[in-house]
Amino acid sequence: MVEPFPKRDLQGMLRGLVVSSDSRLALLITRDGHVVAEAGDLLGVDSTSLAALTAGMFSATREVARLVGETQFSILLQQGERRHIHISLIGESTMMVVVFEDYQKIGRVRYEARKAGKVIGEALQAEAAVAKPLQEEGFSITAFREYALNLIDRLFEPKSPG
Amino acid sequence: MPFINYYEKEIAFKIVYYGPGLSGKTTNLLCIYRNLASEVKGELFTLNTAEERTLFFDFFPVDLGRIEGYAVRFHLYTVPGQVYYEASRKLILEGTDGVVFVADSQPARLDDNLQSFRMMQDNLAGYGLGLTDGFPAVLQYNKRDCSGPIRVGTIEERLELPSLPWFEAVATQGRGVMETVNALSKAIIMKFQG
Repeated sequence: MVEPFPKRDLQGMLRGLVVSSDSRLALLITRDGHVVAEAGDLLGVDSTSLAALTAGMFSATREVARLVGETQFSILLQQGERRHIHISLIGESTMMVVVFEDYQKIGRVRYEARKAGKVIGEALQAEAAVAKPLQEEGFSITAFREYALNLIDRLFEPKSPG
Repeated sequence: MPFINYYEKEIAFKIVYYGPGLSGKTTNLLCIYRNLASEVKGELFTLNTAEERTLFFDFFPVDLGRIEGYAVRFHLYTVPGQVYYEASRKLILEGTDGVVFVADSQPARLDDNLQSFRMMQDNLAGYGLGLTDGFPAVLQYNKRDCSGPIRVGTIEERLELPSLPWFEAVATQGRGVMETVNALSKAIIMKFQG
């Protein structure tokens, strides 16, 4: 299958951010809770759930911002005992989540996240501009549907009660 | 619109369980979760109040498998049913690819069902989605074991809805639950890139 976009390296950009900010891991997620890219020490981290929950939290905060007369809070910081989360908005629909351990380094995390966010935002915009339907890349929607319907019957198989 | 990650080769669809408070949305999710093998499901999160009512949402991901080179996943969510969590419900519907409306079949809850269904339509309309445009939706008449359940079709008639696929269920016993999620998942797949 042909690559749909010019080669990007969001993961590489996130890896750079993890190193430059001395963080544990970084994720790029969509506003509705899907993981776009991830980097760093992901061992034992359920990034799918982290993305879904973070997106929910960020959406709620956006509504809170509106209620107090702000358009949105572009940065969210959660301080824990050992680990902390810095969440920043990139464009309208993407968020960058950075998990770090030394709270003394919050200034560095902020600075590096802002810098990386700008570059990643531009990369995402460039990608969106050349997006093509899957079918144009040799993806067969007929075959996809047939397999998917079959798998759904096996996965969500009705069980007899009792 | 499902989420498509061309580089990681992933497609994820979002399913939302909507309905009035205590209609059985979380019970549906728990039942599906129990019925799935551990290798196809992620962790189940429930964001509850102290009284174990849904505060924000319940969530878990399900892996369908790899199709045409893409890892396909469903993300299942519930909304909080209580009327005053309207803002949360709207947020959770963002990016949804299909909804299950879980109705409570007890006659005394008919008005709650109707009010909740209208809210769902308003919430979906806020994202440019409508049931008349073929947006995937399934109606589940839950709690069929109650005394004198409302007639199937009552909600559609009262709200003058287009014909919707419906299922009778007793989620606490697992009846009708897998049939419902099966039907909605298929409707979503048929709508995908259609």
